[in-house]
This record gives sequence, C-alpha cells and structure tokens, in this order.
Amino acid sequence: MYEKEKGLFDAFVAGKLSRRELLAASAKLGISAAAGGMLLTQAQTRAMAAEFDWMAYKGTKLKLLLNKHPYADAMIANLQTFKDMTGMDVTYDVFPEDVYFDKVTAALSSGSSEYDAFMTGAYMTWTYGPAGWIADLNEYIKDPAKTNPTYNWDDVLPGLRASTAWNGVPGGELGSADAKQWCIPWGYELNNLSYNVKMFEKAGVQPPKNLDELVATAAKLTKDLGGPYGVGVRGSRSWATIHPGFLSGYSNFGQKDFSVADGKLTAAMNTAESKAFHKQWVQMIQESGPKNWSTYTWYQVGTDLGAGASAMIFDADILGYFMNGGDNKEKGNIGYAPFAANPKATAPTPNVWIWSLALSNFSGQKDAAWYFMQWASSVEHDLFGARKMDFVNPVRASVWKDEEFRGRIDKSYPGYLNQHDTSAPGAKIYFTAQPLFFDLTTQWAETLQKMVAKELPVDEGLDKLAANVDKQLKDAGLG
Amino acid sequence: MDHTSTLEQVIRGVLITCVLVFFLFPIFWIVLMSFQTNETILRIPPSIVFEPTLSNYSALITGRLESAAGNLDIAFMKNLWNSFFLSASSVLIALVLGIPAAYAFARFRFRLGEDIAFTLLSFRFAPPLLVLLPLSLYFKQLGLTNTYIGLIWVYQLICLPLILWIVRGYFEDISPDIEHAYRISGNSWLKTFWKIAVPLAKPGIAAAGLLAFIFAWNNFVFALILASADKQPVTVGALAFVTASGIQYGQIAAAIVLSIAPTLALALYAQRYLVEGLSLGAVKG
Repeated sequence: MYEKEKGLFDAFVAGKLSRRELLAASAKLGISAAAGGMLLTQAQTRAMAAEFDWMAYKGTKLKLLLNKHPYADAMIANLQTFKDMTGMDVTYDVFPEDVYFDKVTAALSSGSSEYDAFMTGAYMTWTYGPAGWIADLNEYIKDPAKTNPTYNWDDVLPGLRASTAWNGVPGGELGSADAKQWCIPWGYELNNLSYNVKMFEKAGVQPPKNLDELVATAAKLTKDLGGPYGVGVRGSRSWATIHPGFLSGYSNFGQKDFSVADGKLTAAMNTAESKAFHKQWVQMIQESGPKNWSTYTWYQVGTDLGAGASAMIFDADILGYFMNGGDNKEKGNIGYAPFAANPKATAPTPNVWIWSLALSNFSGQKDAAWYFMQWASSVEHDLFGARKMDFVNPVRASVWKDEEFRGRIDKSYPGYLNQHDTSAPGAKIYFTAQPLFFDLTTQWAETLQKMVAKELPVDEGLDKLAANVDKQLKDAGLG
Repeated sequence: MDHTSTLEQVIRGVLITCVLVFFLFPIFWIVLMSFQTNETILRIPPSIVFEPTLSNYSALITGRLESAAGNLDIAFMKNLWNSFFLSASSVLIALVLGIPAAYAFARFRFRLGEDIAFTLLSFRFAPPLLVLLPLSLYFKQLGLTNTYIGLIWVYQLICLPLILWIVRGYFEDISPDIEHAYRISGNSWLKTFWKIAVPLAKPGIAAAGLLAFIFAWNNFVFALILASADKQPVTVGALAFVTASGIQYGQIAAAIVLSIAPTLALALYAQRYLVEGLSLGAVKG
C-alpha cells in the first residue's frame, strides 16, 4: 500500500531528491501537506531504523527532566516518532527555568535514579562531571553497538562539540584530546545585535560594526528617539550578565578571564586592553543603557526590545528571534546583524549558551537512555524542529544547509541567517573551564555593577577584582 | 461620646485612604493586568484604559498558552488543585496532632516538655534547603519521593509548629478553673478537653489554622525538590509563564488573582477569628 508514495519520501530522506523535486512529485501523486508530513516522518523513522536495532530496549520506561523551553516543546511534539521506533515509553517532568537547575542539582546530589537523562547547560557540567553525576558520552558515541551508523556526530558544529567536552582539569582546554563528552549539544544561541529596524531608520543609523560604533550609535539613538534607550544588555548580579554580549565583545579583543600556566590559574581581567574594553562598556551603559540596568536579566532585555522600549540589544540571537513574533508590539520590526567588537578583528567571536542533553550516572538504564539522546540529537529530529517548530538555533551543520529551514527563517527573520553564518565559525565557549566558574563570574558582574554605578573607577575595580579572584583561586588550590 | 473634630475626621479619612491606596494599588494593578494582553500591559506610558480580554483566564483554565514560541501546554489548574489539597490536608493533620499537644504543653508540666516544644518550634528556623537534601535521601529509601503523603508529612514542618505555639498560648490564657469545675462534676479529662477547652479555644484554633494554611499555600521549595512536575503547587506552576521566549505578564497576573482567591476568601471569612485569636493568644494574663 502506498508503495509509490513511500518510495518517494524514502528517496528524499536518502538525499536522492531535492525538496523541490519532492514537492513536485507529491503534487503529481495528489499528496496533501498533512499526509506529506506524516509520510516524511515515517520515511525518516525507516531510514534511521534500517541499519540499527532500535527495538533493543522495547518495553523500557524512561523518564526525562526538562526545562520549559521551545527545544523541549519541539521534542515533545515529535516524541511519538521515538516511541514508535523503539517501543520504549518516555515520560518527562518539565520545570520552569527559574527553578530548573535547583531541581537538577537536588536530583543529582541526592543520587536520585528517577531521571535517566536531562537538559543542561555546558557550564553546569563543569560541576556535574567532576562530581561523577553524569556519564562521559564518548563511551556511547564511539561505540558502534550503541550508536546508530547514521548518527553523524561530526555533523554537530565543531565549536559546540568542543565546548561541551572537558577533561576536568581546571583551566584545561575545552574539546582537548583527553576531554570527556559531558553532554550532547541540542540547541544553542550565540550573541549578536538584534535591532529595531524602524527606529534605526528614524534615527538614520546603520547597525554598528564594532564597539566604537556601538557606543556612538547607542548614544545617538537614545538622544534622537526621545524615549527608547539605545542598547539593552544584561546587568543583574549574576554570572549570566557576563556570558552574553559582554564576553563576546571582550573575547573579540583577544582577552581572557584567566591565564593558565603550569596548571595554575591567574586572573587576567585587569590587563590594559581589558581595562580599555571595560571603560567603553561601562560608558555605553551609563549613556545609553536602561535606567535600572543592574536588575536586567534575559527577560528584561528581551521584553524591552519587543515592547519598543529599546532600540537594540547585544544579547542572544534567539532572544531577538523570539521578540520578532508572538504578541510583541515590535513583531516584524526586528533586524539582526553580526558584531565584531574589535575594529581589527576579521570576524565575530560570540560566546555561546548551549542547551544540551546529559545522561545521569544514577540511571539504571543508561544504554536505553542513550537511545533517546541520540534520537533527540539526530539530524532527523533536528530537521523536524528547525522546519516545523522553534528549534533554533539547530546545532547541526546539515540542518543549517536545509533549504526549507533557511527559507522559513529568511522570510520572517531577515538578516538572521547572515548573522549566524558569519559568526558560527567563531562561536564557542570563551570562558576557562574551572570549578569556581559561577562564584567568580558573579563577582565579575558585581564589580561591573559598581563601575556603572560610579562607586569604583574601572582600573581600580579590575585590579581589586583580580586580586580577590587570585586569592580565592589560591585558597581553592587552583592558583 | 465622640469628641472627634471635623478636622480630625478629615485627616483620619485622608490617612486611611493613603494607606489603602498604598497597600491595595498593587493588587488593583494586577487585577487590571489580568484582563490585558502583553502588548497593552507593556505600553509606554502605561494606561488604565484598555479593551479587556478574558484570554488570560481562558488560557489558564483550558491549559493552552499561546506565546511567541507557539502553543504551550500549561498545568495551572492542576497546580492550583495541588496547592489546595496539600495545604488543606497538611493543616487538618497538623490540627489533629497540634491541638492536643498544645493543650498538653499549656496545662501540664512534664519532663523535657519545654525542650520538646522548642524543638518543634525550631523546625521553623532551619533553612528548608538544608533539610531537604538529606530528607530527599530518606524519602528515596522510604519510597515517599513524589507522593502526596510524603509532601503532607514534610508540610508539617510548616504547619505543626505554628498551630502548636499559637494554640498553646491561647489555652494558657483560658482559666483552668472552668475545666476544674467541669472535672469535679465527674467528667473525664478527655471529655473536658473536647467539651470545654476546645470550644473556648476555637478563635485561636481558627486563627492558627488559617495562618498555617497561608504559610503552606505559599510554600515553594518542598514540592520542587521532593516531587515531580505533576505534584507541584501553584507557587512553582506560576513560574511557567516566565519562558525563554518572553514573560507572559497577563497570564501571570491572572494566575496571581486565581491563586490568592482561596486564601483571600478564607482570610476575609475568618478575619474576626484571626484578629481575636491572635491578639488574645499573644497576651498573657
């Protein structure tokens, strides 16, 4: 039954037909869009199942811990495909992001076997990995008996593969040869400019290309627009203030958080170049940032852009993506631009946040859970999410080449593909991996707050911060 | 006879209005927000003139939330039920255990009595997270993780000390002579407790029960750590509207209105008992 139709979609999945050819042939056979979608999913399932025993753990019940996020929604929407393919049952707990990591930490630190796999950020694995709470996924990825032959791990963007692998040595290079793969990249965000096209036209300015231009453009927008402020960046007393735009710009000048020599770490945020960068950043916030900047998190930065309270943000590209839709006042007015803070740099160097999947070491069915993880991070599911849901940014190079995905993004989010494609080669985690990451980076944000509030001059503030950080590193045996 | 002058009455009226505006304006604003979309809430400058919508309430009640990231399933009504069930059950059990205990502490002097009472009170001092991680290990061994029974048990950390200490103070304020007179008539100790002590302490018991209910309702961390998503109370559930794709202010406001409604109704109903019970229990004769 439907052999001709099945053959057609099998050929498309195998790459023997282009999307246009598939659409033309489907029309000739009278296949509706809904039926086409179903046939495509079935064809993908057949392709994945062809050379691998997906039914090896039939009847197993898995439980996942998920964050309330569009990535989780895309997975849940496609989960039946996995259940049909493997005969496994999958249940999940979804928790809001505000409390999500408290739940994860509590579950892992108590050795709970309730959850087999869970969502995590790469930074968190710097705690979970050395503590022995999560499994090294190299043991699974590199084992052909456990991983299906079409998985194509190398298709995952190299910067993301490296950023989620660490050897556990403080200061150890991410993605080194001896690194353990603590998690699998699932969806990610890099940091660039998202701006209000109408406001830019009104003020007669172009998207800035470097930090000098950003400071000047933001000031002009604040002055000329008569209401909205020039640039939104995060400012709360949290490590999350440092990791988006700030670190992306900072890294573009070749600056680092720590120097590593003979296995010892030293604070590196008080170099002359770093001080110059901090001065410009502080000036930008003082002149053109939000009034209550020191309370700003992801939510405030995004909400202001969507509501027309700010003219641009230097933050996650997907934050600008979300603000261009929904019931946001400025829906359809948001543009995107790549940003290299250093005028001498050849390309942007965005720091990244990677929502990833990790395997709990306390799970009693790790092999079965890995089946789920490899399906959830497969090309097939990535394509499904990218084409039909808001599974942006996908982590696989092949998905970024997909015509249908690119067409959808280009139509509704002009400039988005360009900012991504320009920045992706340099996109990775620019922090130094070490166990005091959250504490020390939060202190950095606290110092930044004092500089913006003019409680501390930049030079003095950074020298004090570096001295304080060095002392803590020594106390912890890291410096 | 009232000697208040007109000027005093006017000043008093103005001051009362100021206090009411100060305390009630945030609630008034939240109620207004609950009838608006995100777009009108985030208008610059804000305005109280808008076209009201029931979409926030319908999203909460039907469990479908439309956001920038598409349609999302939400379980707010389930969260509301969990809060009600956990709080009401915990308070009921705490009343059953706490009232006799409070009576015993008030009327009898026994060895280590004060130490036991203070130990129970000290449950209120301990930071919940400090207790919860070890507790989660025990819960795992006892099979209580992710069960309503386990949660109601842990909620006793909130309810039991409150009820015990408030009701104890109240029992101490009631003269024991009435009970002695009743006992002399040949009634048992248990009958005296039920027929004399408890009815006399009713306002205090109502006040303590209400306070314990409010504290239990507002708890956040116990269910978060010890239970799965399907057993989370409204305090955790309301955070689901803070999503990566934006904050759903309208739905948050509607969720606040719905979640404070039960405690507000209960507090208004029992207001008389609350004031009387707390003030009488607090003053020693």
